[in-house]
Amino acid sequence: MLTENALCLSGGRNQVVYRAGTGPALVYLHGLYGVSGDAPFIEALARCYAVTAPLAPGFAELAELDDLHDIHDLALRYDDLLDALELEQAVLVGHSFGAMIAAEIAAHTPGRISRLVLLSPLGLWSDAYPVADLWGVPPAELASLLYTDPAAAPAVGPITDVEAAVARVRGMTAVARFLWPIPDRGLSRRLRRVRAQTLVIHGEQDRFVPVQYAHDFVALMPSASAHILPGAGHMLPTEALESSLTAVDSFLSAKPVRTEVHV
Amino acid sequence: MKFHFFHLMPYPDLPDDFRDRYHGVWVDLPASELFDPVVGHHAYNDYLDELEFADQAGFDGICVNEHHQNAYGLMPSPNLMVAALARRTSRAKLIVMGDSVALYNPPTRVAEETAMLDVLSGGRLVAGFPVGTPMDTTYCYGETPATLRDKYREGVELVLRAWQEPAPFAFNGRFTQLRYVNIWPRPLQKPHPPVWIPGGGSVETWDWCAQHNFLYAYLSYFGYLRGQKVMEGFWEAVARRGLEPNPYRAGFLQFVAVADSDAEAERLYARHALYFYNRCLHLYAGFANPPGYTSEATIRQGMEGQIKLAAERNKELQDLTWSQILERGYVVAGSPDSVVQQLTEMERTMRVGHLMTLLHFGDMPSETVMYNTSRFARDVMPRLRPLWDEWDDNWWPRDTLALSEQAQPAPLGGDRSAGDRSSPPRTPSPPEERREKIPPGARAARRRTRVQV
Repeated sequence: MLTENALCLSGGRNQVVYRAGTGPALVYLHGLYGVSGDAPFIEALARCYAVTAPLAPGFAELAELDDLHDIHDLALRYDDLLDALELEQAVLVGHSFGAMIAAEIAAHTPGRISRLVLLSPLGLWSDAYPVADLWGVPPAELASLLYTDPAAAPAVGPITDVEAAVARVRGMTAVARFLWPIPDRGLSRRLRRVRAQTLVIHGEQDRFVPVQYAHDFVALMPSASAHILPGAGHMLPTEALESSLTAVDSFLSAKPVRTEVHV
Repeated sequence: MKFHFFHLMPYPDLPDDFRDRYHGVWVDLPASELFDPVVGHHAYNDYLDELEFADQAGFDGICVNEHHQNAYGLMPSPNLMVAALARRTSRAKLIVMGDSVALYNPPTRVAEETAMLDVLSGGRLVAGFPVGTPMDTTYCYGETPATLRDKYREGVELVLRAWQEPAPFAFNGRFTQLRYVNIWPRPLQKPHPPVWIPGGGSVETWDWCAQHNFLYAYLSYFGYLRGQKVMEGFWEAVARRGLEPNPYRAGFLQFVAVADSDAEAERLYARHALYFYNRCLHLYAGFANPPGYTSEATIRQGMEGQIKLAAERNKELQDLTWSQILERGYVVAGSPDSVVQQLTEMERTMRVGHLMTLLHFGDMPSETVMYNTSRFARDVMPRLRPLWDEWDDNWWPRDTLALSEQAQPAPLGGDRSAGDRSSPPRTPSPPEERREKIPPGARAARRRTRVQV
């Protein structure tokens, strides 16, 4: 069961976070559809961890985006959030858009992130296997882009209730704010800064962010490995919940490996 | 009231099976497969002829607009078209409907080009500033939907200041930073050309236009029956600010087809209207609704954007018939009496002082366009003209040079005036030595005198 809290960041900015579970602290950054979109996965993580899942800026209110002019402002806002959570060091797990933010945070403030898990991360670009245009398909076709089995997908297509539709558009507006028109904000130049041991989990059948990107992340990071889930698409927390969870668990419970940090 | 001739400049040669072969007319339609530059050459020249014909026929304004990467309208740069028109027209105001300010980097480019056009045309420019369709702005030009409107408004503010500020100034915007803004030339019209805002029905635009005293033009392909809802919203915004409901604050776009009878109108115009609705408005739903383009308030108000509407109605537009087009008021067609009656009814409900007519449809040949244009100007325009006479039009160029003061293009030199372009023009005799400076316009005045003799 997730409980909603309001935090106050420096400068009096509001931040909505959801919490669940007890154990070692873990910060979870949600994907395209907000905390509610990843709720079952967050609750599953909460069986072993004290999970804090902040709602990305813009999802609660678009005005939160006003002072975030670029990806650096966004990464610093999460640094402020970790201050507000009184976490000197944090374990970060993110999915999709949230994984891109997690990687950016780890690259901007490398000393602050102890372990990093990126589930189907966005943030890189290659002309050879371009990320699909999430906003270039009609709403009715979204599910088949994101899921291997669109029939088993929760509703990501058109919605009729006005307020629900407004909330969906608001979330997507916030995501598009940092991914439009090409989801590359220069992460490839910064990933070398990440010090945290990193696990990249990726669906082999991801039609949105092709699996090659998992290998690109690993190649660009000093201490990362990839775990590819056969048969899975982009929405790992929903369609590959158990296998993703197992991979996260075994990675986080393993002893830290000493690695040489490139100076 | 005032009447304008609006040209969309569509590509006129899309194949019959276009809808089956391609998912849409915009953004990713492969030009290498469908665009024939020779067809384009003749289309551009026909379209300019038609706009010039409208000037001769007595239209108050001739309008062009900006779109990108599509076969719906071949004008990535409306200013280039107006540059061509400025030299070949002299009466009609030149209405750019308009420059999508957020797409120019820096937006002072818009201030410069519009000032050039205003000076070149002797103060005949109306400067329209649309946000731009989702396809043009976010998909073709890569603008982030969430910041598009802020960037647009900042750009419009910069253009207005660049036209007017008495001294060079610095501009420290979020989207544009310039240490020195000091455009040359400046517009002829003072303080600046009228600003018209073409809108598709977003709630914020109504208030913004009312607040800045900009003209609001609703550009609709779905006729006045649907346009009423939008215009009601605009007039409410005007009333909220305590402003007069002057009809000249508003413009509306309407397809019109004039003939001797309903049957004749169908024979002349139906298939070209269907070309427009079936092919030019074949919009892919995937490019219709980028997140953040439409504000939450607009979504809550239930105002569907023009593009989203067209994309959602794609199937319906495919099977559209001429009689449905007429029933729904997409096209106002028929005999002059019938057209006058329909437009009078429209004016009664919408109060628009500026009617932008679309008299060219889709793939209509020039002779048909000119017939329609001529019939409208002769048989319809005079009967509606007195409407709204009791109001002043404060959204119209006022400083335009009188015809007698305007420079006229020189006749082509040598034998070129006879159409022979193979030989160079004759070398004129050397100018006489003069002590005094020749005042600007003197040569044009001499030429006029000569022409009169």
